[in-house]
Amino acid sequence: MKDTVKLLVALLPGLLPLSAHSEPQLSVKGFGTAVLVGSDTDRIGFRRDTSQDIGARRNGSFEPDSRFGVQLDANFSDDWHAGIQWVARSHPGDFVEQNLDWAYLRWRPQPDLNVRVGRLGFDVFLLSEYRNVGYAYPWIRPPHEFYGGLPAYHFDGADVTRKLVVGDGFVTLKAFGGFSYYQVPATLSQIFDAASLVAGGSLVYELGDWRLRVGYTHTETLREAPLQALTSALNDPAVRLLWPGAAQVGNRFSVRGKVVQYSFIGMGYDDGTWLAQMEAAYIDSNFTFYPSGANGYLSLGRRVGPVTLYTLLGIAETFKDRIPVSQPLLPIPALVGFRDTVDAILNGNGVDQKSISLGVRWDVHENIALKAQWSHYWLGENGTQLWQEPFSGPTPREVNLWSLGVDFLF
Amino acid sequence: MNGKRLPLVLLLLLHSAANADVAVIVNPRNPLDAMTSKQVQDVFMGRTRSFANDRVALPIDQSSPLRAEFYRRLTGRSLEQINAYWARILFTGQASPPLQVPDDAAMLKTIRDNEGAIGYIDKAHLDGSVRVLLILP
Repeated sequence: MKDTVKLLVALLPGLLPLSAHSEPQLSVKGFGTAVLVGSDTDRIGFRRDTSQDIGARRNGSFEPDSRFGVQLDANFSDDWHAGIQWVARSHPGDFVEQNLDWAYLRWRPQPDLNVRVGRLGFDVFLLSEYRNVGYAYPWIRPPHEFYGGLPAYHFDGADVTRKLVVGDGFVTLKAFGGFSYYQVPATLSQIFDAASLVAGGSLVYELGDWRLRVGYTHTETLREAPLQALTSALNDPAVRLLWPGAAQVGNRFSVRGKVVQYSFIGMGYDDGTWLAQMEAAYIDSNFTFYPSGANGYLSLGRRVGPVTLYTLLGIAETFKDRIPVSQPLLPIPALVGFRDTVDAILNGNGVDQKSISLGVRWDVHENIALKAQWSHYWLGENGTQLWQEPFSGPTPREVNLWSLGVDFLF
Repeated sequence: MNGKRLPLVLLLLLHSAANADVAVIVNPRNPLDAMTSKQVQDVFMGRTRSFANDRVALPIDQSSPLRAEFYRRLTGRSLEQINAYWARILFTGQASPPLQVPDDAAMLKTIRDNEGAIGYIDKAHLDGSVRVLLILP
C-alpha cells in the first residue's frame, strides 16, 4: 500500500530521462458529487457500500454518497504517462491512504498495448473502476445490489490491456494481478485491515452503440479478521464445559486463505436517445463473512433534450445455509449473550434485497448534472448486510429511499 | 438604429455557427484521401490511435462552440454525453481526451505543424494549407 506509492514516486525521476519531451505535460482534472439521501425508517441505515459504517435514515445525510476527486496526469512522452487520483469520501479507514485510488505509471510500447504498474482501480465489474465519478453514469449511485457489497476500490500491482480490431468493432483484453489492502468496519472491533491477493481478466467487445463485457476475478484473503478475543473465548475450557457447541463453531472464524471468485457479464446500449444497461454476477466464496451469492440489475433510460429519465431494477441474494449454533447447557445470561453474538457474526451477513428505482438526470450546464432518484427496497430476513444494521431488533422489510444530488467535472 | 442592428448581427452569427459545414482536416503530408464518419469517430472517441494506414493519429479538439456542432454531427450526441464518456476513460487512467485548441485559426496552424494531427474547422475557413478528408453536413 504506502510502500508501493513510495516506490513509484522514487522510480519516477529515474524514468524521466526515457521521455522524448524535456518537459512533461501536466494536467489537473477532477470530479465531485454532493448527494442528500434519506429514507422512511430509523431502524436501519442506508450506506453506499460495505466500506462504510455510517447510515442515512429519516433525517437524511450527505455522508454516504458525497465525494470529491482530483486527478493529476503527467505525459512524459507518447509512450510514458503517470497518473494519481485521490478521492475524498466517507468511511472509517485511513482518510489519506485508503482514498488514494490510483497512482500508476503507464507504458504504451505499441498504440494498442498498455502496461500499468502501481496502484490501480479494482476492475471487477463494469463500473467498479469509476464508481466515484457520478457524472459518468445516469443514476445517483451505482446499483446498490451490485456495488454495495464491494468495499475494495483499488489494488497494488499491474495490468496489461490489448485492443484489437474485430470486424467493425473493437475487442479489449485485460489481465491484472496484485494485492488489495482495504479497511472495512468490523463487528466487535475497530476496523478490519483486509489484505487479499487479486488476479483476473476481462474481455470487452464494443460495436457501434453496444458494449459487452465478460470477466473473472479471483481473490484470496491473506490476513485473519480481528476476532482473537472471540476465538480464544470459544476455546476457553470453562466456556466449552458449559457450552459444548462452542467447539463446533470455533473454527468458522478463520478467513486466511479463503477464496472469493467473481464471474461476471455485463451489457450496455446507448444510441444517444435510448440507453440500457445490465450486469449479472455469480460470486463463489468459502469465506464465512462473505457468503456465495448472485446479483444483477437492469436499467433503461430515455433522453429528452438535456433530461434523462431512467428506471433501475436490482436483485442480490446470498446462498447460505444457516450455521447451527447450539444453546449453552445452563442459561447463564453472560454465556447466552456471548452465544447470540457468535450467532449474529456467523449468520448475520446475508444479502436478500430487491429494489426498483425511478430517477431523472438533468444536464443543466456543460459538466454539471442534477439528479433525483426514488428507490423502493424489499429486504429479506437476515438480508440487510449491505445496510447499516441495528445491534438488535428486527429490520424493516420495505424501505423507501430518496436522493437528491449534483455531479460535476472540472 | 444601432440598437436594432446588433441583435440581428448576433442572430446571423449564431445562425452561421449552427449551419456551417464542418470540415475534418489533416496535414497535407498525410497520404489518406478520405475517411468515413465511423473512422473519424473511432479516432476522436479514443477507440483507435491510428489511421487506416497504421500511422499514429493525433486528434485535436476545439474549445469553441464548433465543438458541440462537430460531435452532434459526427456522433448524434450532445457535449454532455461526450464529456460523460470521456470522464469514464480519463478517470480510469486509460487515455486522455483530445487536446483542445481555441479556434479555427489555431486548429489550422496545429494541423500544418503536425504530420499525424487530425482536426476540424468551419468549412468556410478552409485555406488550402490542409487536406480535407470528410465534410460533416
